[in-house]
Amino acid sequence: MNRRTFLGASAALLAACTRTAKIRLALNWKPDPQFGGFYAASYEGHGLGVEILPGGAGTPTVQMIGAGSAEFGIVSADELVVARSRGNDVVALFAVFQNCPQGIMAHASRHLESIGDVLKEGTLAIQRGLPYARILEKKYGFDHVKVVPSPGGDISAFLRDEKFAQQCFVMSEPLQAKHAGVDVKVFPVADIGYNPYTTVLATSGAQLKNDPDRAKTMVAAVRDGWQAYLNDPAPTNAKMHDLNPSMDAAAFAEVAGAQKPFIETAELGSMTADRWTTLIGQLAELGDIPRAMPAQDCFRNL
Amino acid sequence: MKKFLPPLIPLVVITLALEWMVRSAFVPGYLVPAPSAVIRALFDSRDELSAAMAKTSAAAVIGFALSTFTGVAIAVLLSSSRAIQRSFYPYAVFFQTVPIIAIAPLLVIWFGYGMKTVIASAFIVSIFPVIANTLTGLLSTDPALRDLFRLYGASAGVTLVKLRFPAALPQILTGLRVASGLAVIGAIVGEFIGGQGLGSVVDVARTQQRVDKVFAAVLLASLLGLALFGVINLISALTLRRWHASEQAS
Repeated sequence: MNRRTFLGASAALLAACTRTAKIRLALNWKPDPQFGGFYAASYEGHGLGVEILPGGAGTPTVQMIGAGSAEFGIVSADELVVARSRGNDVVALFAVFQNCPQGIMAHASRHLESIGDVLKEGTLAIQRGLPYARILEKKYGFDHVKVVPSPGGDISAFLRDEKFAQQCFVMSEPLQAKHAGVDVKVFPVADIGYNPYTTVLATSGAQLKNDPDRAKTMVAAVRDGWQAYLNDPAPTNAKMHDLNPSMDAAAFAEVAGAQKPFIETAELGSMTADRWTTLIGQLAELGDIPRAMPAQDCFRNL
Repeated sequence: MKKFLPPLIPLVVITLALEWMVRSAFVPGYLVPAPSAVIRALFDSRDELSAAMAKTSAAAVIGFALSTFTGVAIAVLLSSSRAIQRSFYPYAVFFQTVPIIAIAPLLVIWFGYGMKTVIASAFIVSIFPVIANTLTGLLSTDPALRDLFRLYGASAGVTLVKLRFPAALPQILTGLRVASGLAVIGAIVGEFIGGQGLGSVVDVARTQQRVDKVFAAVLLASLLGLALFGVINLISALTLRRWHASEQAS
């Protein structure tokens, strides 16, 4: 090998390395159906090397993206707007849940009519810092209900106490409660007019600027992945069940079916400026952000 | 002044360095808050933070007091016979290894939301160092002095109160120093789940990406730990001054 071919080969190798350099995708929870499409995606088929980093309660994905410890991450739209107002340049690329799947679940035996009734007595387990928690507080007041921290996905306190209500993923905890023999009534948060995109693929403004093509390819891979998962979740569910055996196989199938209506839309993952503007207005009114910002900065439909 | 100067120098240097790093955009403010932002958060949320601080202090102090009395009592019991020590000491170690985060949700089921859960959490986390250090202290009484007490026909009770316990004081106080900081940590972890005090403030501020407020609450928690530590040091100085080398230097 003469010197020139050696140099050429090295350059090619270097190029290949940067080409297939691992891209990290940080999740904000354990592998479960809300991430189905991300696990179903064939990144290699699109020429990307992606490593999915599962998270847990409170994984600060939005800060990880800003700090560069993950190139892509899963965030919620409200989180992203707040982050931007604090100077963390994060941009949404693909919104899995077109409608917010969060809600409050209560025992059906209480015969409650609306989300306001939930707040009239008993206990409500909710993450108080969340914007919708504060919208609820503003609208109805928390004077008559005992507010306690959210137990995550755990429903044992709920099962033991009829007057206990808790925040939930509409297609997750209510199904668990039903299996445990408790009839529930679910009040979606969207009912009070708060409906941010949820499970949103995001990246940093810098990443987007440096390598716009890579972001575009990533979105294409993810979109194909979600289409595949919606068509047939079984193989991906099996893969995710191996990674997260504490959730049983039947639950994977059930949740995958229940979440479908929240995800399906003409063009999977696409977002509108109107929806972002509404959200920004709500967050500004709550005082979570000091002033409104242009919706166009928050997202990109690639 | 001479006493306060040495710890003040690193405080000022580190604070100024942090402030400079954030202001010059060397690290972004959403990852590490500028000290000035933390001070502003302390000021802006003073009502909320002082109410939270009061709750956390109460829970940590009660939990710490419980582990002091229970821990010393357990150590006295364990030291009374080899057989008891062999049978029960391994279970005391359980308290040291129990992952409090994992059992905290159970505490809520046992004690309900609020103060009791927080106290229980502070107690569980802080009792082991009290047991371990007190036991070591009680078992290392000078044999010559023990023989002297036996020679004079002192009862086991008298030997404990007049000899073994006072002789163990330096170790007991070391155990309490370790336990005091742990009690604060235990209280805050309990508050994440039990929902009140500084733990709750941290939880909410984290959700809102208010790093400045998180650090403001953490700062108050460390002040609380420092205060407890100071009280133990004071007790130590008062009780050991007359005879123990650790409090006599200079």
